[in-house]
Amino acid sequence: MAEKHHNPETGCGYKNGTLPSCAPLAAAYVPMQPKDSPQYTGEEALTRGTLFPGLDLPFMNLVNQDHPYAGTPLGELMALDFMIKELNLYLDTHADDKTAFAMLQEVIGLAAEGKRRYTQQFGPLEVKDLAWCERYTWLNGPWPWEYAERSGK
Amino acid sequence: MFVYEKKLQYPVKIARPNPALAKVIVTQFGGPDGELGASLRYLSQRYSMPYPELRGLLTDIGVEELGHFEMIGAILHQLTRNLSERQIKESGFDTYFVDHTAGVYPQFASGTPYTAATIAVKGDVITDLTEDMGAEQKARTTYDNILRLSDDPDVDNVIRFLREREVVHFQRFGEALRLTQEKLDQKNIYAINPSFDK
Repeated sequence: MAEKHHNPETGCGYKNGTLPSCAPLAAAYVPMQPKDSPQYTGEEALTRGTLFPGLDLPFMNLVNQDHPYAGTPLGELMALDFMIKELNLYLDTHADDKTAFAMLQEVIGLAAEGKRRYTQQFGPLEVKDLAWCERYTWLNGPWPWEYAERSGK
Repeated sequence: MFVYEKKLQYPVKIARPNPALAKVIVTQFGGPDGELGASLRYLSQRYSMPYPELRGLLTDIGVEELGHFEMIGAILHQLTRNLSERQIKESGFDTYFVDHTAGVYPQFASGTPYTAATIAVKGDVITDLTEDMGAEQKARTTYDNILRLSDDPDVDNVIRFLREREVVHFQRFGEALRLTQEKLDQKNIYAINPSFDK
C-alpha cells in the first residue's frame, strides 16, 4: 500500500502529510493530510475507528478484526453514519476537496435510504422517524446501552 | 440544537460483567480526560473561535464526544449488570456501590466527582487548539492504560475504537491550527488574539 500511494510530487507515503518548507518559529505543526489519501471500506472503517489507513495507529499494533454488529442491518447503518462523520471532520479542514465532498453526498444518500428501510422494519431511531410508523413505537425495543444477546438486528 | 438518535456510534456488547474493570473505565465517563470533559471543552470553546472552519470542527467533534460519553455509559452499565453482593465486595466495587449502587455516575477512577476544573476555555484560538491537541493525547494515553488493565476482548474492542478516534481528532485539531497560523501575520503570529482583537 505504501508504494502504491507514494506521491512523487511530495515524496510522501500514505502515512505522511505535508509541512511548510518555511514556517514561523514558536508554533506547533501537524502535517496536513493529503487529498488523495487511501480509504477503508465502510465496514473496515467502523471496525478500525477511522476511514483513513494513514491515520490508523493502533496501540501495541493490536487491531479489531470485526465489530459486534458486523453483517447486521444496524451495523451497516452505523458504518455509513461513521463514514459521514469521518468525511465531515476531514472536510472541516479540507473544505475544497471536491472528491471527498462528492463521496460525502453519495454516502449521505445511502444512509438516508438505509435508515428509512431500517426504521420501517425495526422502529424509529429518531422521534421524527415516527412519521413512517403506525403506532407510537419510540419506547419499544432495547435502548442502545442495554445488553442484548442478539442485538444489532 | 441537538437531536437524539437511538443508536450508538459503535456497538457495545459485553458478555461478562466485570465491576473491577468498570471502576477503572468510569474515569472516561467523568474523569480528568474523559468524554464528558472533552465534549464540554469543545462545545464551550467554539463560541470564541474566529473562523468558520474552527466553529464547524469544534461543533462536529464536540457532538461526536457526546456520542462517546454515551458509549462509555453503555460499557459501565453492561459491566455492572446482575451483580451479586459477593462480586461487589470481592472486586473492590464496594466503595463505588455504596454511593451509587449500579448507577452510572460521572467521576474520576479515584472517586472525585466530575469537575470542569480539568478543562480550559481560554478564549484564544491558538491556546484553545493547543489545549485540544493535548486533551486528545491525554485521552489516548488513558485508553492505552485501559487496554493494559483489561483482559476482556469485548471491552478491548470498543476501547480500541474510542482510542483511534483520539488519534483522528488530534490530526484534525492540528490541521485546524495550521489553517489558523496561515491566516495570521507570518512575522509575528502572536501579534494579536484573533478571538478577541478585531
